[in-house]
Amino acid sequence: MRLFMSNENVLMVGTAKGLFILRGENGKWNIDGPHFPGLAVYSAFFDQRKGRNEMWAAPASWHFGAELCKSTDMGKTWDQPENRRIKMPKTSKKSLENIWQIAPGGHVDSLYVGVAPAALFESHDRGATWKLNKGLWSHPHRKKWTPGFGGLCLHTIVAEKDDIKIAISTGGVYQSADGGDSWKVTNTGVKAYFLPDQYPEFGQCVHKIARHPKKKNTYFLQNHHGVYRSTDGATTWKEIENGLPSNFGFGLTVSDAGSVFIVPLQADGQRFTCDGKLRVYRSRDDGSSWQALAKGLPQKNAYEVILRDAVSSTGNNIFFGTKNGKLFGSADDGDSWKMIEGSLPEICCVKAYTL
Amino acid sequence: MSLTVFLSGHLKTFSNGELEVPIDGNFATVGEALDSLWKIHPALRDRVLNEQGEIRTHVNIFAGTDDVKRLKGLQTRVNSGSELHIFNAVSGG
Repeated sequence: MRLFMSNENVLMVGTAKGLFILRGENGKWNIDGPHFPGLAVYSAFFDQRKGRNEMWAAPASWHFGAELCKSTDMGKTWDQPENRRIKMPKTSKKSLENIWQIAPGGHVDSLYVGVAPAALFESHDRGATWKLNKGLWSHPHRKKWTPGFGGLCLHTIVAEKDDIKIAISTGGVYQSADGGDSWKVTNTGVKAYFLPDQYPEFGQCVHKIARHPKKKNTYFLQNHHGVYRSTDGATTWKEIENGLPSNFGFGLTVSDAGSVFIVPLQADGQRFTCDGKLRVYRSRDDGSSWQALAKGLPQKNAYEVILRDAVSSTGNNIFFGTKNGKLFGSADDGDSWKMIEGSLPEICCVKAYTL
Repeated sequence: MSLTVFLSGHLKTFSNGELEVPIDGNFATVGEALDSLWKIHPALRDRVLNEQGEIRTHVNIFAGTDDVKRLKGLQTRVNSGSELHIFNAVSGG
């Protein structure tokens, strides 16, 4: 389709049936895929640090397990060497269920992987070798974390140098200031409505956190009911729900302009877009107020679900995908939207990059 | 002892395209026979078994026509000349 993007964008769109790679070139999207046809891809990452062109993806077979694959030719070929498999140690008495996140580490050769059952794997050699982060695995809370509907997953990793923030469903937000040697829990103010103690130390079902691009101590959090902001480095949280039709949702991203984007869903028990309208909500004041964005989005009989990693941004271009396989994009910080693809398989993740 | 392992076509990526693998060795159980199979095609192991050495939930292994999960699992005894079949279960969405 003809498009609107000014820069050359690359989208890695993971679906329940494979990975699609889209490139916006000369005003037109080209789609390539499915890679790993039939396999569910919940996580992907395009590592462009130090001039690299290394694509990572984690296709999961419900029969044969999850793989960690890398491409150095923009997805033409993928490798999956046996010595790079993400495996739970025998002593853990656990087995890998899925890879939920592939994320850059705080150092240029570092990568992290978040998995179910909730655990963090780390590589400090550009992904050649991996090991379980023992600091988090040995945290005394770990055995008390409980699975949500998607399993007990570590799904979000935000790292800068030795500072690492992670989010677990259900467990909540944890962070390390020493590169992962030790971890502290930082859920103060985040509600867990499904527990007798609704403000516990841990056990919250945090769906996604993201950092402000310029205000390094400002973070945003989409909870299982609840939208929050932290201004002290994801340590304490305050509600920012004024003007939202619902405080439930999954995905969350912050554009380079500092605009926060979420897609509220109707209540926990229904989990589709509110009032049959597909509306993205944007805040340009760190969550103090929200604006409904609907231009170019279906406003009638639109019962969509947007998953936790299916909202992404690069620069001020915003993208999101739905469980019904629709992929939307905005090139103007959310003011208007266009559908890029309408019939993909269920979209599990959208990762946006600029070449 | 010798027997033949038949693989689901979905596993050929991990067996150099082979779907019928004869194995020889000193084994008496399904688990011991599979240990011989892994020596020929190491990549098969992690797709058939999980990290704890258990048959994956959605993988079925038959000794002859018997589902070993309904018998003694990897401890199910095998006889020389018998057949093992490894299938993906009819699950998915």
